[in-house]
Amino acid sequence: MKNALLKTSGLIMIALVIFNLFVMISGIVISDEINAFEQKADKLHKINLTLEKEVASLSSLSFAQIQAKEFGFTNSTAPQYIGELKYAKN
Amino acid sequence: MQKIKLIFLFFIAFYIAIVVRLFFLQVIYSPVNKSPYLKTNKLVPVRGRIYDQKNQSLVLNQNSYQMYVEPKKIEDKDRLLHQLSESLEIEEASISAKLDMSKYWVAIASGLTQEQKDKIDKLNLKEVGFDYQTKRYYPEASLSAHILGFLGKDSQGEDVGHLGVEGFYDRDLRGLPGFLETERDILGRPILIGVQQRVEAEDGRDLILTIDKNVQEISKKRLLEGMEKYKAKKGCVITADPKTMAILSLVCLPDYDLEKYYLFNENFYKNQAIADLYEPGSVFKPLIVASALEEKKIKANDTYDETGQVAVGEYKIKTWNDKYEGKISMTRILEKSSNVGMVYIGEKLGDKKIYSYLEKFGFGKNTGIDLEGEASGYLKPANGWYPIDYATVTFGQGIAITPIQMTRAFASLINGGYLMKPYVVQKIISKSKTTEMKPKIEKRIFSQTTSDIIKKMLVSTVENAEAKWDRPKGFSIGGKTGTAQVPIKGIYDASKTIASFIGFVPAENPKFLTFVVLYEPQSSIWGSETAAPLFFKIAKDLIVYYNISPGQ
Repeated sequence: MKNALLKTSGLIMIALVIFNLFVMISGIVISDEINAFEQKADKLHKINLTLEKEVASLSSLSFAQIQAKEFGFTNSTAPQYIGELKYAKN
Repeated sequence: MQKIKLIFLFFIAFYIAIVVRLFFLQVIYSPVNKSPYLKTNKLVPVRGRIYDQKNQSLVLNQNSYQMYVEPKKIEDKDRLLHQLSESLEIEEASISAKLDMSKYWVAIASGLTQEQKDKIDKLNLKEVGFDYQTKRYYPEASLSAHILGFLGKDSQGEDVGHLGVEGFYDRDLRGLPGFLETERDILGRPILIGVQQRVEAEDGRDLILTIDKNVQEISKKRLLEGMEKYKAKKGCVITADPKTMAILSLVCLPDYDLEKYYLFNENFYKNQAIADLYEPGSVFKPLIVASALEEKKIKANDTYDETGQVAVGEYKIKTWNDKYEGKISMTRILEKSSNVGMVYIGEKLGDKKIYSYLEKFGFGKNTGIDLEGEASGYLKPANGWYPIDYATVTFGQGIAITPIQMTRAFASLINGGYLMKPYVVQKIISKSKTTEMKPKIEKRIFSQTTSDIIKKMLVSTVENAEAKWDRPKGFSIGGKTGTAQVPIKGIYDASKTIASFIGFVPAENPKFLTFVVLYEPQSSIWGSETAAPLFFKIAKDLIVYYNISPGQ
């Protein structure tokens, strides 16, 4: 009887130690994941700002001016207006 | 047995020591705040972005880094200075001057880009570190410098908006910081059974302006050309929707580089359109004429006998060219910008009414435009006015107002008589809601009839003015020139003037109202020869931009 009790408590102790180890290792794994997600979120935030900046600079008027020069849009290619607009409207 | 007791007592004492130590750590020294594992980080909100009326970006945030050095870790100072100087393209002496060897942490440079940081990272300098920051990015550079304002620092080193929209809406833009309190292990990983508290930061609100960046570009380009052509010291162009007083563009030159604002002196920061007081001159005349029409003291076709100079006390009032046409209509008074004719209209209106209309127009008070740095002007108390003051104010001399006050008052003439509150922000957007700013009527000054009559008079003023301009053909345009002398130490200097033109297109149902002011133009002192041609150039561009067809 005494032996059985000792064995049982020994087993319980071992089970507890294993469970404890499992909880600890799981905690470390989850913490690592949290850390990784935090860093990823940070990185995404920075990439987002960089892309936003890129989009804005590509749609800016100064970029449009540079492009216009490159494609040869100059004063000489300004639209020619029709003198008598009433004919154009007919 | 004795030995066992001793060991037992030793263990008891050991445990008591541990318990006492824990008591001190957990109760007396408040471990929650003292734990080396508990990290509290401020979660910095992202500052709100600013867009134009078509959702085109005007101000965004970008990644930026502050580089610091820990002087106590430096082994070879000369090598470090040389490497940093090469990477940052800053003189070694400048870095050395900042590097206080007695300190543990010294900030060397801020506003570094990702590329600059990567370049320094590659050097593997253990004494160098970086703090992440964000800074403002302006895709259109200084296109709207005076409207936007800039982001500076307060005495605590915190970001704070100055002037313009950044200053006025600083509290909306900056958001609310949050915090993250978390217990971390020695490797920086969160301890799950420890303290984990996170209060999210509330990002700043985004602003959608009434400004149209294309109109802004047109105005700025034309103003720059005009200032060069007419050799003006400075200048402003304000374009607004006269029905709502939503500002479509506001440009003043010279302006400054928003990203390097610290390289400019304070004079460049001042938004002349809202902060510079000036005597408006003849552009003021339609306000007095409309007031007299409203009070039924005159009619558009009434005549005045313009025979010569008019005496007011010891002063003589004359026309700009000292020429007189005899019997002329009220409309003709505006067309030829007759000062003596205006004195006549002022007399018909009466001193009390003149003063009461000046108050109605809101002169001497802020317009309430949502830009930081507005000046109110000064309207001296009625009991301080002499007869000559009432005479000169009818043609816009002897009163100091801001260009935005003039624009607002003029808008009331052509929008059915409503004095509107000017505004530049039409929407404030947060994560949870969008607040729309509605046009605000301050008061009604004129009836629709008066508004219609004065509009016709102003169209006639443009069509029959003494100067002939290169106007867009087929479009009805109303407006008025102004040439105001600049008082220097109480005396008007004839060679120094403020030339202006205010006009609207199309006259029947105005789509835009544009006010052009040029300070001290050199090629000609007259508004009709400087500000007016500049206005028509801008108007031509805007007619095309807004697709306004002739005869509208």
